[in-house]
Amino acid sequence: MTDNEQGTPAPVGGPVAEPFWRAAREGRLAIQRCDCCQALRWPPLAGCPECRSRDTTWTDVEPSGTIWSFVVYHRAFQAELRAEIPYTVAMVELNDGPYIVGRLIPGNKPPSVGDRVVAEFVEIDRVPSVRWRVA
Amino acid sequence: MAIQRNPVSGQVAIVGLGHTAQGELPGRSAEENAVDAALLALADSGIEPAELDGLVACKSIQGQGNDVSVGRLLGLNLPYAQSLDYGTCNFSLHLAVMAVAAGMASTVLLTYGANARSGKFDFGQPAYGADMASAAGLVHIAGRAGLALQRHKYLYGTTDRQFGMLAVGQRQWAQRNPNAIFRKPLTMDDYLAEPYLVEPLRRPDVTMISDGGVALVVTTPERARDLPNKPVYVSGIAEHAGVRGEHNPENLMRPWLRDSAKAIWASTGLGPCDIDVLYIQDPTAVWSLQMLEYYGFCGIGEGGPFLAEGHTRPGGDLPLNTHGGQLSESYTWGWMHLVEAVRQLRGQADERQLDSPEVALYCSSHGFVKAAASILSTDPGVGT
Repeated sequence: MTDNEQGTPAPVGGPVAEPFWRAAREGRLAIQRCDCCQALRWPPLAGCPECRSRDTTWTDVEPSGTIWSFVVYHRAFQAELRAEIPYTVAMVELNDGPYIVGRLIPGNKPPSVGDRVVAEFVEIDRVPSVRWRVA
Repeated sequence: MAIQRNPVSGQVAIVGLGHTAQGELPGRSAEENAVDAALLALADSGIEPAELDGLVACKSIQGQGNDVSVGRLLGLNLPYAQSLDYGTCNFSLHLAVMAVAAGMASTVLLTYGANARSGKFDFGQPAYGADMASAAGLVHIAGRAGLALQRHKYLYGTTDRQFGMLAVGQRQWAQRNPNAIFRKPLTMDDYLAEPYLVEPLRRPDVTMISDGGVALVVTTPERARDLPNKPVYVSGIAEHAGVRGEHNPENLMRPWLRDSAKAIWASTGLGPCDIDVLYIQDPTAVWSLQMLEYYGFCGIGEGGPFLAEGHTRPGGDLPLNTHGGQLSESYTWGWMHLVEAVRQLRGQADERQLDSPEVALYCSSHGFVKAAASILSTDPGVGT
C-alpha cells in the first residue's frame, strides 16, 4: 500500500491506476479511454494497445455488466484471504465492452455465467473496493 | 534458391537426457539440481562437457539457475550461452535450434532446475506483484484456469466427468512410471469425490509442486551419427506470443494458442493425424483441454466428449502425457514432457512404452501470454 495525495491508503495497481481508485471512492466506475481512437481499455495501461497513443482520459462507464465466468475459492492462497473463503471471483464483461475481474457479493442463489451484475462501491479499512452483485 | 518452408527440419537431434529424482530435495539449490541433471544428460549422450559450445539455461520460478550460475558450476566458457525466464523446455529447445541453425553453436546443453517445494515458494503471490485482479482475490493459477474452464463448461456443456478424464487418465499413465510422484490409483469416482479447490477445479486438476533438475543435449545430425543413442530429430518448431495479454478479448481462453498450432502444421506439412504421441505441458488440466482443441485433435468445444471417449488414456489412439504429466509425475514446468517424448521415440519407456511411435508433438505455453510447439521424430526427413 502506498499513500496517495489525500494521505489515505491507495490500493494496488501503481500510479497508472490511481484515478480508478479515486473514482471508486466517489462511487463511480472509471476506466481509461484513448483520446486518439476512443478505445476503452482495462486493466490500466500507460498507452493504448489499439493505436499506441499515450493520450488518455479516465471516463466513467456504466457500472454494470454480465458474468463472463466465475470461480469459487475453497482454499485461501494468501493468509489474508483465509477469513473470506469460500469466496467468488467473477470476470465481468462490462456493458461498455471491457472485461474486469471483481469479487462477487454472495446472493440468494449460486451465480451463473450470463447473469447481469451491478457494481457496489465499498470501503474496507478505509480502502475503496468495487464489488459486484447479481442484479 | 527456393525458400524452405521449414528450415529447421532434421537439422538438430536430441542426443542426451538426464534428470534428478523428482520430489523433495532439501538443501539443494535450483542450480545444483540443474547441474546434476546436466551431468546425467551429458553421460547419456556420450558427449564430454568440453565439447559443448552452447548452453541454454531456464531459470526457476524463483529466478535461479541462469546461464551464469549454471555455467559457473559446470566450469564452462562457451561461444553461446543464454537464459530464459520461462522454458517449458519448448522455448529453450527453440533457442538451441536457432543457435545451431545460425552457426553460433553445434552442441547445446539445455538446463532447468527447481527447488520450489523445499524452497517453499509461495504460488499464492501474484507473479508480477499485486495487481487489480489479485486485489479481488484472483490469485494462484487455478483462479484464471478455473475461469477458463467455467466458461468452457457454459459454452459447450463440458462436464466434470468429461474433464476429469485428464486427471484420471494421467494417473493411469503415472502408475506405469517409477519416476512419478503421484501413483496411487485415481478412479473417476475418486476424482468426483475430491472437493473443489477453486471451483470448477479440484486438487487433481492442478500441478503438484516438486523439486528436481532436468537437462537435454542437442547437436547436429552429423555429430549424432557417432553417438550411442538413437537420435530424436526436431522436425518443426513454432511459437506465438499473445503478449497483448489481458488486453486481448477473452484472453483467458488463450486464443493465440491457435496461431502456434497453425504455424506448426503449416511449416511441417503435418497434421493431427500424423502424431503418434502427444505431450501437453499441464500446470492445470485446463491447458490440455484447450490445446487438444486448438491443435485440432478435436473441434473447438468438443474436448469434453473427446476425452470421455478415452483417446488419451492408456490403450487409446492418442496417448497423452504418457509419464503422468505435471498432474501426476512431477512439476518441472513441462521439462519432463520432452524427456518422456524422447524416451518413447527411443523405445526406452519400459512398461509404458508405446508400439514404435515415430512422431511426437509437444505443446506448451507461458501462462497467459505465449504458446510454443515442437514436433520430434525418429526420421530426419519428417517435416521437410
